[in-house]
Amino acid sequence: MIGILLAKLKSFIRNPWTFLIFTFMSMFFAFIFGGTSVEKAYVPIHAVNENIKDSFIGQQLKEQEGFHFSWMTEGDLREKIETGKAEIGVVLQENDYSIIVGVNSFNTDLVQQIISGIYQEKIEREQILLAFEQGASDESNILTEMDQAMEKPIFKIESASFRGEGAFVYDNSLHRIFGFSLFFVIYTIAYNVLPILIEKREGIWDRMILSPLKKSEMYIANLLYSFITGYLQVLVIFLMFRYVVGVDFHDRFFETLLLLIPYVFSIVALTMLITAIVKNVRQFNAVLPIIAVSMAMIGGAYWPIEIVESKLLLILAKFNPLTYGMEVLNGVAVYSYPLEELLFPISVLVLMGVTMIGLGIHLMERRHI
Amino acid sequence: MIELVDLTKKFKQIYAVKNLSMFIERGEIVGLLGPNGAGKSTAISILSSLVEPSGGDVRFENKSILKHPAPFRKVVGMVPQNIALYSDLTAEENLLFFGRIYRLRGKELERKVDEVLEQIGLTDRRRDVVKKFSGGMQRRLNIGVAMLHDPELLIMDEPTVGIDPQSRNYILETVKRLNEERKMTVLYTSHYMEEVEFLCDRIYIMDKGNLIASGTKDEIKQILSSEKTISITMERLNEEFLDSLKENPLVNRVTIGEKEVTILVPRDINIFSEIIKLAESTGIELNSVDNKTPTLEDVFLHLTGRALRD
Repeated sequence: MIGILLAKLKSFIRNPWTFLIFTFMSMFFAFIFGGTSVEKAYVPIHAVNENIKDSFIGQQLKEQEGFHFSWMTEGDLREKIETGKAEIGVVLQENDYSIIVGVNSFNTDLVQQIISGIYQEKIEREQILLAFEQGASDESNILTEMDQAMEKPIFKIESASFRGEGAFVYDNSLHRIFGFSLFFVIYTIAYNVLPILIEKREGIWDRMILSPLKKSEMYIANLLYSFITGYLQVLVIFLMFRYVVGVDFHDRFFETLLLLIPYVFSIVALTMLITAIVKNVRQFNAVLPIIAVSMAMIGGAYWPIEIVESKLLLILAKFNPLTYGMEVLNGVAVYSYPLEELLFPISVLVLMGVTMIGLGIHLMERRHI
Repeated sequence: MIELVDLTKKFKQIYAVKNLSMFIERGEIVGLLGPNGAGKSTAISILSSLVEPSGGDVRFENKSILKHPAPFRKVVGMVPQNIALYSDLTAEENLLFFGRIYRLRGKELERKVDEVLEQIGLTDRRRDVVKKFSGGMQRRLNIGVAMLHDPELLIMDEPTVGIDPQSRNYILETVKRLNEERKMTVLYTSHYMEEVEFLCDRIYIMDKGNLIASGTKDEIKQILSSEKTISITMERLNEEFLDSLKENPLVNRVTIGEKEVTILVPRDINIFSEIIKLAESTGIELNSVDNKTPTLEDVFLHLTGRALRD
C-alpha cells in the first residue's frame, strides 16, 4: 500500500498540473465573485437632514458588519440604482425611512430589518429619556450609563435562529470560498480516482492482482491518495484566504478544516461510483462536468440554497453531497454552530460516502474473481 | 503444468471462448494463435485467474486455480497487451514499484532490478521516464516487469504489437533465451504467424472463440498435406482470370491480394501449364507463379477461409 502511495506521489510531483489548475481556479473564482476586497454588500444611503449622519442612526449604520452604507445625495443614490451599481438604496428621514429597490434580492429584507431595528432602538432611547426627563440633568449621561449597563447585563441572553424558517445569515466571501472550493475539488478528486479506470484498462491492476498485494490495499491506497490530494487542495485554498487575503472565518478556521473531511470523503466515494459506472475515459470526461456543475447549482455552491424556491430542486438538493458540505461549512464558520448541531449533515455525508464507495467497488469488481 | 478443461466464457449471448481445452507442459513455449477477436486475450485472462469463466476449469498442478488462485499467482508472470506501466515514473522506479508489490526488498530488489534491466537492454535508460521511451522500449520494460519475481510461467499477450522490427526481434530473442537458459515456460499469444513459428514448440489456433487446430508446427502443417499453395503475381488483376480460377474444379480455394492471387490445389496436380494458358487467354501478364511451402498462415486460411490479419 505504501508502495502505491509512493508511486502516486512521485507521479504527482512530476505532473502536478491538474491539482494546480483546479486549486488556482477555485481561488480565482472565489476571489473574483467573493469580492474579498469588498467584503460588505454596498448600499448607497441618503439623509434628508445632515444631522442624521452624526446621530444615533448614523453611528449604528457605521457599525453594521454585513453592509457598507455609503452616504451620498439622493440624485447619486438613484443613479447608482438605475445604472445597476447598487441593488437597493435607503433614504433616511428623522423618524422614517424609505428603501428604493432596483433588484429585489435577499439583501432587501436584510437591509429593511437592519434599518427598522435601528429606528426602533432610537425610539426606545427617546422614550427612556422622556421617562427620566424630570429628574435628569444630563441626557447624555443617562444614555452612556445605560449603554454601559447593557454591555454588562445581569442575565446573559443568547439568541439563536431556527434553520429552515427562511432566516439566514449570508457571508458573501465565505460562501464563495466554500462554494468554489467544494465545486472544484470534485474535479481534482475525480481526476485522481480516474487512474483506477485507466490502470485497470491498461493492465496495471491485473499485475497487482496477480501479486501478493491484497485488493483492499489497492483500493485503500488509491482512494486515500485521492482523499489526501482533494483535502490538500481545499486546505491550500482556505489557508490562502485565511492568512494571505485575510478572510474572517469567525474564529472557527480549524473546526472548518476538520469538518471538511466528511465532504471530501463523500466526493471520493461519488467519483469512485462514477468511475465504476462509465466504460471509458471519454465517457468519464463527458459525465463529470455535468454532475459537478449540477451539484454546484443544486447544492448552493454558486448561490445560497436558501433563496431556491423550486420544490423539485430542493428535493434534489437532499441527495447532493455538496448541499451538506455547504451546510456543514456555513454552519461551523458563519453560524458558529456547535458540533451537535452539525451531526445530521455530517452523518448524511458519511452515509452517502459509505454507500457510494461500497457500490462503486462492487461494480468495479464484477469483472474480476 | 497447466490444463484448461472445457473452458467457456459467454458475454451475454456471445461466446468469447467456447469449450476450449489445452495444456502447457513445463519448459515449453506454447503459441496461441488467432486473428483479433478470436478469444485469445479472454482465454489467457481466465488462465491467469483474472476473469471468471462461465464454464470449465483451469488446473495448475492438478488443482483448480479458480478455487485456489494464490499458489498459481505466485509462479505466473503476466505481460499484458497494453503497456501496463506508470508513464510518469522512470524505468527503474517502475521496476522498483512492481518489485515491492512482489515483496522484494533491499539488496535483493536492487539486484533483481539490475538483472532485469540488463536482460531487456535498458540499463542505460534506467533513469528516463517511461513516457519518453519508444514503443519498443516500453514493450521491453513491460516484459521486464513480469520477470521481476522469476516466474515459472510467463504469459505474454501479443507483446510485439505496434513496434519496430528491431525491437520485435530483440523481444523474440529475449523470450527464446529465457526459455532456453531458465527453462521458463511461456504461453505466447499473437496474430503474427512468423513469431509463433519462430518461438513455439506447440501451437493452438483459435478463431471466433473456438479451438480450430492444435499440435506441433509440423503436425499443424500436415493439415495441408493433401494440398499445396501456389502464389501467382501479376501486374494487374483481371476479373475474368479470377473467375476462371474460381470455376476451375482443381482449385480448392482462391485468395485475392493486391497484385497476388493464392490458390490451394491438390498436392499431386500440376496446374502450372493451365495457369499460364488461362493468363494468355484472359490477357494477363504474369510476373511469377510459385509453389510455396505451406505456412501456418496457409493452414489458417485453409481452416477458416480468412487470412489471419483480416
